[in-house]
Amino acid sequence: MEGRFATFGIIAKIAFRNLFASRLKTAIVGGIILGGALLVVVVGSFVDSVVAGMRRSIVGSVAGDIQVYSSQSKDPLEVMGGFSLEAPDLASLDDFARVKQVLETVPNVKSVVPMGINGAIVPSGNTIDVALAHLRDLVRRKLSGKTTPDDVAAYEAEKGHVHQILSVLQGDIKNARQLQDEKALSPEDAAAVNKAISPAFWADFDKNPLDSLEFLENRIAPQAIDADMLFLRYVGTDPAAFARAFDRMKVVDGTTIPEGKRGFLFSKFVYEDQVKLKTARRLDKIRTARNERGEKIATDTELKRFVRENSNQVREIMLQLDAPKTALFRDKLQKKLGSSEADVAKLLSSFFQTDDLNFDDRYDFFYKELAPSLELYRIRIGDTLTIKAFTRSGYVQSVNVPVYGTFDFTGLEKSPQAGALNLMDMVSFRDLYGFLTAERAKEIGELKKAMNAREISRDNAEAELFGTKELAQPEPAPAAPLTLPLATGPAKRGHDNGHQKKGAAAAVPPAPVPAPGRNIVAEATPGLNPPQGEGVGAKLAREELVKRVYDPAQLESGAVLNAAVILKDESKIPQTIAAINAAGKQAGLPLKAITWQEASGFIGQMVVAFQAVLLVLVLIIFLVALVIISNALVMATLQRVQEIGTLRAVGAQRRFILAMLVLEGLVVAAVFGGAGVVLGALIVKVVGKIGIPAPNDVSYFFFSGPRLHLVLGTGNLVAALFIVFVVSGLSSLYPAWLAMRVNPRTAMQAEEG
Amino acid sequence: MKTIVAVKNATKNYALGKVTVPALRGVDLEVAEGEFLSIAGPSGSGKTTLLNLIGCVDTPTSGIVEVAGKDTRKLSERQLTDLRLNTIGFIFQSFNLVQVLSVFQNVELPLLLQKKLNGAQRAERVEALLKRVGLSEHIRHRPSELSGGQRQRVAIARALVTRPQLVLADEPTANLDSVTGQNILDLMKELNQTEKTTFIFSTHDARVMAHASSVVRLADGKFVDRLSSAEAIAAGVNRKAPAAGVS
Repeated sequence: MEGRFATFGIIAKIAFRNLFASRLKTAIVGGIILGGALLVVVVGSFVDSVVAGMRRSIVGSVAGDIQVYSSQSKDPLEVMGGFSLEAPDLASLDDFARVKQVLETVPNVKSVVPMGINGAIVPSGNTIDVALAHLRDLVRRKLSGKTTPDDVAAYEAEKGHVHQILSVLQGDIKNARQLQDEKALSPEDAAAVNKAISPAFWADFDKNPLDSLEFLENRIAPQAIDADMLFLRYVGTDPAAFARAFDRMKVVDGTTIPEGKRGFLFSKFVYEDQVKLKTARRLDKIRTARNERGEKIATDTELKRFVRENSNQVREIMLQLDAPKTALFRDKLQKKLGSSEADVAKLLSSFFQTDDLNFDDRYDFFYKELAPSLELYRIRIGDTLTIKAFTRSGYVQSVNVPVYGTFDFTGLEKSPQAGALNLMDMVSFRDLYGFLTAERAKEIGELKKAMNAREISRDNAEAELFGTKELAQPEPAPAAPLTLPLATGPAKRGHDNGHQKKGAAAAVPPAPVPAPGRNIVAEATPGLNPPQGEGVGAKLAREELVKRVYDPAQLESGAVLNAAVILKDESKIPQTIAAINAAGKQAGLPLKAITWQEASGFIGQMVVAFQAVLLVLVLIIFLVALVIISNALVMATLQRVQEIGTLRAVGAQRRFILAMLVLEGLVVAAVFGGAGVVLGALIVKVVGKIGIPAPNDVSYFFFSGPRLHLVLGTGNLVAALFIVFVVSGLSSLYPAWLAMRVNPRTAMQAEEG
Repeated sequence: MKTIVAVKNATKNYALGKVTVPALRGVDLEVAEGEFLSIAGPSGSGKTTLLNLIGCVDTPTSGIVEVAGKDTRKLSERQLTDLRLNTIGFIFQSFNLVQVLSVFQNVELPLLLQKKLNGAQRAERVEALLKRVGLSEHIRHRPSELSGGQRQRVAIARALVTRPQLVLADEPTANLDSVTGQNILDLMKELNQTEKTTFIFSTHDARVMAHASSVVRLADGKFVDRLSSAEAIAAGVNRKAPAAGVS
């Protein structure tokens, strides 16, 4: 025993001393091992932290730990959205209350949030529509003789505004002429603009305002589409339950949706990115890039592009300016720029031609002096949104919801991914999705009663429908045509709700209605656009849908598409999924539970991709390391052939040689691998404390906040040491085999005499 | 006198690419215990090959090599290694010390491989032997801190530390100046006489042969003759071995 110990001692001594004897080899091998171990620890911790960050972001912003949806769905659930804008084909879970009850029997379930995710096209304010509607309102007051001096001033200002829009339009036409074939432009359209801008038209306006307005609305407004269609993705949910379950959520502007009220909360990101005046948004982006990321307009191509766009695209601002505002802007900009230019468009263009020296000054000037006269947001908090969505059966369904405010998630304020989803009450969601809500079923029942609806056979349907009852004729639709294109429908602003209601309430006969309570998905679009008349249905339709209060119990009792499940112990996801699936089976519910990662779709797959990339990277690095280390060891072994031969000659068995070389490898692995791990851990600790700043907005999601704080996982330390030992073991195999084959004769072969 | 080494019609061929090079072409040799035998011959005569066979670091292509009564062709690689460890000591032309070990550790190494003695016994034996070869002062030194002669003394101590029956020395003085070489030979001779250890060494140095009890001459892989040292010197084996006159 003592002898063995001494033998080990001598092997260790030879092995250890050899590290110093062949310093180059030790430096190469040790350097690689140190670097490799360090890399595994640092990169491993980085990826782990990113994965954990993404998990926090995904779990905390919409997915929850587990998502549950119907197993009868054709497509998989993707709460974060896939590549296409098309919503996945999901079967509904008809009775959320029952689903919730079943889910809550699973011990690890903390809370369940009802959900449905869909996308909608939302027409956002078209300036000329709004201006004309406002003008029509003022004309009406003028005609009724109930005008205040303020109204008179507003009337003149709005006329000036429309005139300003017409000038912009005329400019557009002139530009278009230069770019396109003359024939491509409709001569009638150009003639209409020319007519509208002529002094004669405006001289006639005061005398015959309604006809003039109609001309503007029918011939000019369609040419002056300035607003983009917003495509909004929204999650219909129980707002209160959502806020409780996702505690990073906070309301930024306005308030949350009150209990029992229909309502819409914009994601702050969407609100800023898509609803805000584009010029202002670009100024914000330039400022953020300059202040937070130290970028320069002079060197950054994206910032240069923003400046160029701001300078070229002043039309959006110009359309907002009525006569007094135009004068005000001219005055302010002339003073600011020291220019005598009279054209406000040119003044704005040169004002937005910013560089690194004047940017901060112009930014402040814009917000202090110009912005107060502008609508910075196309949709304001308090406005009512008309959301038009395709139902499952393909009809366009439309619902009015007031915008209560904006929200974001703490730490994810700047993330486009976390900010992609807006929030809506579940009841409105069900309407839009084509579910028959309890409220709607009741309404339809009343409608049927009031209209003496009865079963009619297919054979005599025509006679029954058109032969006996006259359809109510719609009022001439004013600003908002009901037919497609959707883009012409203006947003319903708070101030023109009354006006808008008539537009929305135009006549389309009620579609055939399925028996309530039987088929949860309405075949058509029940109750949309109820008819004019004196019946209960018409009365209901005239009520402001948005003011209607629903029973909070409805949130629970109706259908949902999916549900987010928050767990008590988030480490037990697989077990809980199994338990949920089993509970669903037992209760006869078609429940399918999936992890947050699956539910998040494409983004969740990136977690896997990250880990796969890391694995491949580590594999490649260590394969290369293996080859280099093996080579270095072979060289070192060849240099030691005589020593090894001598040891063999004086009586060392092959296993002694093997042990010696393996021990040498282990000593190198332990010393340098250990050093690498310690160094790596130190780096992770230090960097973890400071945090890696998110390089761009997208990374906020992966970092789950503005900075990624690396977390040192023991797993990575163990993995690094394990890999180091495996690699050194493997790489010393070949040299060890060579060494074992060294013939003791070689000891004798020195300078053969 | 008991025979320690018996070589009977041993041949050894080396494959050099596709060509087979005969290094030994049927050599017979008997070495008795206690001899101080020199193997002489010019370069390529087969001295080292014969020593390799006797030293059990190689086995003959044909014929028999018996060391301490064991037919080396019948032994496994491990058994050959054990035979070397326990029966034979080696002294190399270029000393072949383990550079990273101290003088003491180099000498102690075979004892460690043998695993027969405990630490105190090993230390006692190593220190006694180092004193014997005159290196008591250098016990902690590394080989690189020693002169050539001192290194060869360490090698001799290492060869003798297991008290082998046979010590093989391949041109032990070739890398040493003549005075040092003389001292080394004196030491070997002295050990041969006091310890009764058999020494077989190859050389082509006449002064070295002068110490030998007998000189075996080889040429072209064949046994030429076996002379007393005086006869060998007289025959001028340090010069080219007589090509003619060999029968």
